[in-house]
Amino acid sequence: MAAAEPSPALELHGVFKAFGGKPALEDARFSLAWGEVHALVGENGAGKSTLMNVATGVYAADAGSQAIDGVAHLPSSPQEASAAGLAMVHQHFRLVERFTVAENVLLALDGKGGARSIGDAARLIREKSAEIGLAIDPARVVESLSTAERQRVEIIKVLLLGARVVIFDEPTAVLTEAEASSLLRFARRLADSGHAVVLITHKLKEVSRHTDRVTVMRHGRTVLAGAPIASLDEAEVGRLIVGETVIPTARPRTAPGARLLEIAGLAFPGQMPGEGIGIVLKAGEVLGIAGVGGNGQEDLVACLAGSLKPLGGDILLDGRDITMASPVTRRRRGLRVIPADRFASGLVRQMTIAENLAMTGIAAGAYGRSPRLDRRRMEKAAAAAIADFDIRGAAPARRTELLSGGNAQKVLLARELDAGLKVLIAHSPSRGLDVRATEFVRGAIRAAVEKGAACLLISEDLQEILALSHRVAVMNGGRIAGIREIDAVTSEWIGGLLTGHV
Amino acid sequence: MSNGFLSATLLRRQHAGRLRPVLSNLAGLAFGITVSSAILIAAGVPADALIDEFLVATFLTSDGLAQTVTAAGPLILVGLASAIAMRIRFWNIGVEGQMWAGAIAATFVAIHQVGPEATRLPLGLVLAFAGGALWIWPMLVMKVRFGINEVITTLLSGNLAFLLVQHLLFGVWRDPASSFPISIEFPPASQFAMLGWGQVHTGIILCLAVAVVAWLLMEFSTLGYFATAIGFSRKVAAETGLPVRRITTALVLASGGLAGLAGGLVLSGTQHRLSQTLSGGYLFSAIVAAYLARSNPLGVVVTAVALAAVYTASDVLKVFYSVSEAVIVLVQGVVLMSILVAQFFTQFSIHLPDRPKQRGR
Repeated sequence: MAAAEPSPALELHGVFKAFGGKPALEDARFSLAWGEVHALVGENGAGKSTLMNVATGVYAADAGSQAIDGVAHLPSSPQEASAAGLAMVHQHFRLVERFTVAENVLLALDGKGGARSIGDAARLIREKSAEIGLAIDPARVVESLSTAERQRVEIIKVLLLGARVVIFDEPTAVLTEAEASSLLRFARRLADSGHAVVLITHKLKEVSRHTDRVTVMRHGRTVLAGAPIASLDEAEVGRLIVGETVIPTARPRTAPGARLLEIAGLAFPGQMPGEGIGIVLKAGEVLGIAGVGGNGQEDLVACLAGSLKPLGGDILLDGRDITMASPVTRRRRGLRVIPADRFASGLVRQMTIAENLAMTGIAAGAYGRSPRLDRRRMEKAAAAAIADFDIRGAAPARRTELLSGGNAQKVLLARELDAGLKVLIAHSPSRGLDVRATEFVRGAIRAAVEKGAACLLISEDLQEILALSHRVAVMNGGRIAGIREIDAVTSEWIGGLLTGHV
Repeated sequence: MSNGFLSATLLRRQHAGRLRPVLSNLAGLAFGITVSSAILIAAGVPADALIDEFLVATFLTSDGLAQTVTAAGPLILVGLASAIAMRIRFWNIGVEGQMWAGAIAATFVAIHQVGPEATRLPLGLVLAFAGGALWIWPMLVMKVRFGINEVITTLLSGNLAFLLVQHLLFGVWRDPASSFPISIEFPPASQFAMLGWGQVHTGIILCLAVAVVAWLLMEFSTLGYFATAIGFSRKVAAETGLPVRRITTALVLASGGLAGLAGGLVLSGTQHRLSQTLSGGYLFSAIVAAYLARSNPLGVVVTAVALAAVYTASDVLKVFYSVSEAVIVLVQGVVLMSILVAQFFTQFSIHLPDRPKQRGR
């Protein structure tokens, strides 16, 4: 099954795509043969989903060519792609929860395949379900279905629409182990019956037994195109995924100071079975927690910030128990948080820069004694912060939502990196920022740590982890899969823990 | 770029500026009045009489103005009640129920002559405030503790309060002299002093004072700042450690309290007895006044006076030109919608693309 075989099921060549000037795909290519299961692997943001979204007409490529079954065709909408036999089973299902399976399918078919009534749809579902061996009851309401069952509905839906090339986006991420292996066996059967199947995944190890070939992407480029799985060894793939850029650079390290943050046996919902999270963070160090998104990072941050009650375990901040403390108490003791989504839980987009900067200080009486609010002092402090942090396009009275991502992040930094800082929880602090803003954010965190604070850095971006951390841990399935000093970190080690199904 | 089928898009304005909101509101008002005039003329009102009734009778005669000012008092209070709850995105749809609760409290103080005469009126008003706050309190608890939608609970609580009033009026508080279901008249100690101008009483001073205090609190204090933050994002407010629970409790109780105070004000100021007609249309007016004023307490004073003027003019139209109630409601609705749409354009502008967008290839 070489890529050169005549009329492959899907062929993409020289695909470029940028979002707001930032390249997401650069010269990406992909070739899929009929009758194969093809794994498309890479880190978050490597461009896997973007490439497949281009293939299925969700995004228009800036440049590039595409052929479906040997015919040049760039679908300009998902409907066009679907008509050409190309369909994607998304990670987040697109079903109407209150409708039955048959109603959902009828809605999607929109008259195709002769389905005019719910009865027709139900009959089609039963026939297809028997044909492909995925049991589903058309009369069930989607709300009452398990995740795996919903996925089956999606699969049957795309097959009824006539898909011959089926692309699964992270199909196993939401499934249990048994469900996952049953799905992968199904993918195999689908390929054996003449379809072509793409599995977009982080977990190559998990899918490898059911896969014929592998394509690896990194930073929007195809770094390994359709190599037969048998010819690959795990360490090699791990290295390709992570890249050659893993060069731990020596960094100034203040003498390990006091234990500022101690986490022991921290348990929260959705963790894989096993012991809870245990971490010790000392003054003057950055501990980076790497991991593919959705492996419990959000919950860990929420437990530390005080917006989620852990199921068990202890959190000590500078020796004092804050496991059940309110966000205010945590703040008073020196905990600061930079959340992953700065407008969902850090800044109020409709309020002014001065108001956002003052948010944490007002309760502490920094802007006049309650109930009086000293707006003039707020504006002065904001003007100072704008100058200190070089916040571009800002004025104290300007609404925060009008700032660019990098400058909004600087507002957040200016507020969180204040004098009372002891432990900083930074979740993807430079996500979505340009190079200059990224450097600024990292510099500010470094400076704070050199002054004696400690930072727990949680990020899906390995570059970010490696640029800042003194120690690196890898998170998988809601647990810490491994932890090493930065000097001992290798791409094989990280790659293995990231993609491994522990 | 995938949304090529939309030819016009709305763009959020970077700066609304100072003048634009004023001009937009005026333009909306002018448009609304023009359309309304056309409707009224079509309904048989002579064109020259319109100017007479709307402008001259409502604003330029002493009687009309006095009627407007009297009606504006309770409208200011219920508008404030809606406005401060709106700040934290709590939809108090039970303004009328809280008015009834306040009216019951004020009536109790008046007809049982509680306390010395000198403090009778203030006591009645304080208890009216407390009654309104008490009436909204269970809805607050249900919302905060169990997440039960306050729109439904506050709305239904209004009916409960009215049934309680009926129970009292057909029972212990029935006027023994006439046996009508109305209470006895409030003794003078429980009435506001008249200012000697129509029915205008000293209560209007109280309303304006309350509005100013609310304005100072909402615009210049930590309370108002916290309320704004909570209203925009409860999540951010909680995570940055703002006292979300305390502020929510304070403002919701104050909202109920202000509506209760309005109930007390209507009885002690104009009606002087409890009857079954207290709060016709106050719920609608409260929401409108707060919405048009964008929850700004001083803005509420302006919108409340404007609404009162519309009601005064409507009364005249109904009585002298036998315009039907339906047409009056239609006219009020048209004016309101015009202003709301105009306000929308202070924040957004319409952007027309130069030519249909081409898909990249």
